[in-house]
Formats: sequence, structure tokens, C-alpha cells
Amino acid sequence: MMMKIRRTQRPQRPQRKVFSEACARVALVIKRRKISFAVLAAFAFFVVGCNRGGDTTTSTAKPRVALVLKTLNSPFFNDMQRGAQAAATRLNVDLVVQAAEREIDVERQMQIIENVLQTGVKALCLTPSGSREVVPAVVKANRANIPVVIVDTRLDKAAADEAGAKIVSFIGSDNYEGGRIAAKFIVDISRATNGKANVAVLEGIPGHETGDSRLRGFKDGIKDTPGVRIVASQPANWERDQGFNVFQNTLQAHPEIDTLFACNDMMALGAIEAIRAAGKTGSIRVVGFDAVEDARKAIKDGTMLGSVAQFPDEMGRLAVENAVHAIKGEPVEADAKVRIELITKENVK
Amino acid sequence: METGRETAIRDNDLSRRGPTPAAIARRYRASQRLKAVAGLIGLCLLLWILTPHFLTVANALNVMEQTSINAIVAVGMTFVIISGGIDLSVGSLVALSGVVLASALKSGWPIPLALAAGLGVGAATGLLNGVVIAFGRLPPFIMTLGMMSVARGAALLVTDGRPISGFDAGFRSIATGRVFGVPAPIVLTLAIYAVAHFVLSRTRFGRYVYGIGGNEEATRLSGVNVRFHKTMVYVVSGVTSAIAAVLLTARLNTAQPIAGIMYELDAIAAVVIGGTSLSGGEGNLGGTLIGALTMGVLRNGLNLLGVSSFLQQLVIGMVIIVAVLVDVLVKEKRA
Repeated sequence: MMMKIRRTQRPQRPQRKVFSEACARVALVIKRRKISFAVLAAFAFFVVGCNRGGDTTTSTAKPRVALVLKTLNSPFFNDMQRGAQAAATRLNVDLVVQAAEREIDVERQMQIIENVLQTGVKALCLTPSGSREVVPAVVKANRANIPVVIVDTRLDKAAADEAGAKIVSFIGSDNYEGGRIAAKFIVDISRATNGKANVAVLEGIPGHETGDSRLRGFKDGIKDTPGVRIVASQPANWERDQGFNVFQNTLQAHPEIDTLFACNDMMALGAIEAIRAAGKTGSIRVVGFDAVEDARKAIKDGTMLGSVAQFPDEMGRLAVENAVHAIKGEPVEADAKVRIELITKENVK
Repeated sequence: METGRETAIRDNDLSRRGPTPAAIARRYRASQRLKAVAGLIGLCLLLWILTPHFLTVANALNVMEQTSINAIVAVGMTFVIISGGIDLSVGSLVALSGVVLASALKSGWPIPLALAAGLGVGAATGLLNGVVIAFGRLPPFIMTLGMMSVARGAALLVTDGRPISGFDAGFRSIATGRVFGVPAPIVLTLAIYAVAHFVLSRTRFGRYVYGIGGNEEATRLSGVNVRFHKTMVYVVSGVTSAIAAVLLTARLNTAQPIAGIMYELDAIAAVVIGGTSLSGGEGNLGGTLIGALTMGVLRNGLNLLGVSSFLQQLVIGMVIIVAVLVDVLVKEKRA
């Protein structure tokens, strides 16, 4: 019934009315165009302005290398960008840095990769937002004969093998080892007191290789110490505000918690605020991951006990260096590990 | 004051007071399209001047392929917005349909059956939205806001928070295949627009959608089963979200419970850039397609130019505001 076709009926109109309508239409169109053109002109100036302001569009004969990050609103990736930029300047490379608005937006990252592949880049450095999801984009780069350097988060091996995705190099720190280092630190501290610790864990986005590895390392690290046990483990999706909320809730459910391991500093910093709000500052040991600037401050203040440091600037530097090696056809280190170290009050800078 | 709603009603022959100046509405719609097209062409020209990489066949296909998911979600959104409603749950529906489809595929269901399951979930959730809005008289904003969270939660529950990935090539060909050299997603999108445009402009249901958005009471008084047709509008939106989910899952070879976040805003942006009024009763799918393409071209162009990602957000937001502002100003002048 509802799909039945019906023609719209139009009443006949006198000739003169048609003419006046036509005039009105032309007038309307002219008016409208003026507005559209004004808008476009304004937009043009704006984009050109932006473009000048940008740091990435020098059109010389320098080889162009793309660095596609997960996001740019995180100190970790800002450091990586800085390291990469410094290396690019030193090696005379034109570096284009792009990232999605949100770290979890894999589809958008894939679009960005497809788009930068159109711009004649000679190599692609990529921190995958999803270790399986970006595989098709890597395959596209392979087809265009653009070497791919993966940074920070590994591609999923099964997915990459199945799709035939090839990379020339992986650069990252060993997140599993980092988790173990954090675990050892907590075990050592608890030994110094009563040998016991009730640990809460804040996880990253479920299914992310980075967070999963840290957590696995951490769990393996405390395995042989029965006094140290995980009483609650919840994802807070890498974010500060979620770290606050999730940990506040966790504290309600488990007042016995005396130790927190957060899979990144953002969540740890959020949790520190929750601890402050609960009036428990000083009675809960917080260990984070990444040693970002705010975390270093918190370590100096004593609100945070330690954080496992990665060196994103070194990752950025190595990424560009390896990309340049690949462009020149030189041998490239297939698996480059960047150092990792625990930052505590003793060695914090 | 002459408003678009009234002209739409009269154009639909729903109100028979006086002569029907259908031409006014037609002229208005034509000018709407013209404005949107002019904007898009202007944007393309600009990018063509600014970067040599923009106007290549590969990049054009690239943009259209990237636009396809938002464009498909925006089809349902256009129906909903013309009917005077809003659907904030589309992004979560994309995630939910995607994970249901993926779980079905993973447990060995044949592809057509798995597709039916995915689309069925989209339709059923849309139906639930529609029934509560039309029969329970809940404002669409509230109902779909709630559904946004419900569907997201359901998607996370189904998957335990983890992505489901690795499908066979037959399924992936929905996104990776080509039809006469044109990527399949583009063909699929155009086909959906053709069908949806026909439904919206040439069937009784389509006319009623305009009527409900223009003046619900008048439409009801002229004997239309408003509640039923209103419900169906949300079913359409659920189904198009599910189709987008199929494409997204095939494209990424993964279904994620956290997929589709903010898709509702992209879809609404595409609809309003295309000249459809948020107050309902007017608009068309041609405009929405152009709106979606404008967003796609803009994002693509800003990537090609290497503009910083912070500025990109700023530019996109400004374009949405300016596009709708021009719309409003033009309407005021006309009145």
C-alpha cells in the first residue's frame, strides 16, 4: 500500500506567471551565487592561510615521508613527532605528519593513510590504531611500492600474513617487558613491607596489542609472588577522565586496594585525582606507564611512585631513519627495540 | 510568513486550501541543490589549484569510497530529519549490526544468512526506536540518545569488548571488489541512493514523510496513519546503518564494538550541508549525497595538503556552520 506509485499533480498556470517566476528564479540564483562565492573566497583564504601556517608543505625535491600517528593530542605522540621531525630535518626529508582526531578511530586512520598515499610519499611510517584493522591500508601501500615502517603497535601477525601485508621494519619498545618491570617494582616494594599488595589494574582499550602486552607482562611478573594479587582489573580506555571514574568506582567496591597499576599514565593521573577525592593520597601506591611529563611531576610530588618510561622521540627518530634506509634500498633492521626504563623518585628529571 | 514546511505540505497535495504553487517548492529545492553543488565544485576547484594530487582518477575513487559509509548512514538520517525527527543512535547501530554480522560469519553462517542477521538487528533496533517514538510519544532526541547507549552496550556485551576479525575473501569483496572497474562500495552507495530517492520522491510513503515533518497534525487529519509511517522512518534509518556496518566490517576486515563513534554527527552534518532543514518537512537525498561528498572531499583535501589535524577539525566545523548559515540567510531573504 505504502509503496504505491503516485504522480504529483501540477495545476496548469497562466503564461505570464511562468515568466515572472522565471525572472524571480534568475534573481534568486544570482543572489545566492554571490553568497556562495563570498563563502568560498573566505574559505580559500582560510585554507591557504592554514597551509602556510602548517609545517609540512615544502615542495622541493626532498623525498617525502609520511608519519601517520594514532592521534596528536597525547604527549607520547607529540614526543614521537618531535623526534621524527628532528631526524627529518637532519636527513633532509620532507616529513608529513597526520593523525585522526580520536585514537580509537581506525576507519579515519585508514582514510588518512589512503589519502597520504596519493600525495607521492616515498615511505610510510605508521602507528596503527588497530593492529588488525589497518592491514588493508598497509596492503595498499605495498601495491604502490611504498615501504612501510610500523611504529609502537605491532600489526597482528595472523591478519598481516593472511592479507600478505609486508613491512620493512617494526620499531617499538617491548611492552611485555615493560609490564614485567612494573610488576617487579611493585613486588620489591611489597617485600620491603609485609610482602602483600592488593592491586587494582586500569587496562587500555580492550583488544589493543599495546595494553594487552603490558598487562600480560605485569601478570607474569607477579605470578610467583602469592602475596601480590590483582583484586580488580577494569578498562579505562587510555583516558584520563575515564581513569578517574573507573578508579573511583573500583575504590568503592574494593576499599582494600593499596596498589594501582595503570597501563598508561593518562589513566594513572586520572586515578590519582580519584584517590585525592577519596582522601587516600599516600596510602595507595600508583605505578603508571609512559612517564609523560605530568607523570614525572607526580613522581616528584610523591603522588605517583613510578612509571615505566618509553622513549617515543627515539621511536620517531628511528622510524624516519629506517624509512630513509628503505627509500635508498639499504638494509633495514626488521625489528628495532627502543630502550625502556623505570622512572622513580631517584632518577626522575 | 511563507515557510518551507507549508510549501512542502501543499506540494504534497495534503492540504487543498487554494491553488498549489508546487513551483515555489520545486524552485526552492532546485536552488538548494544548486547551492550545495556550487559549494562542492568550488571546493574541488580550490583543491585542484592547491594540490596536484587532488584531481586524479585514483584520488576521486578514493574519496568516493571513503565517503560511502557516511553517505549510506546519511540516507536514513535524511528520512528521519525530513520527518521532523533525529536519530542519534546510528553510530552505535553501526557497531551493533557489525558485531552481530561478524559473530554470525565467525560461527560459520553462510554469507546471505549472516547479512540478514546484521540487517535484521539494524531493522529491529530501528523498529524499537520508531515504536517508542511514534506510539510512546517520546521525543526522538531522547529515545535515540538512550538507544545510542543501549546499542553500544549491547555491542560491547556481545563481543566482550574485543574486535572480531578475519573474514573470507568472498565477504570482503563487498568492500574490496570492483564492478566494471569501479570500487564496489561506490556502486552500492549509488544503488542505495537511487532506490531511496525513488522511495522518497515517488511513493506515497515518501510523500507522507514530508507531510509528517511539515505538519504532523494536518497529515494526521488528512487520514494518514502517521504513527505507522513515523515508525517506518526509523526502520529505514536502522537498515541503512546496518548496510553501512556491512561495508565497514568488510573494509576493515574487522567488526569493532567501538566502531561508529560520532557517525551520527557526520551524518547529520552531511544532511544539513545538503540543504535539509532540521525542522523537518523539506530536503532531498541529492543534497545529502553532495553534503557527504563535501565532507569527504574536505577531509581528503586537508590530508593531501598536510594540514595539521587540529586545524582540520576547525575547518570542518566552520564549513558546517557556514553552509547552514548561508541556508538560513537565503531562506530569510526569500520570506
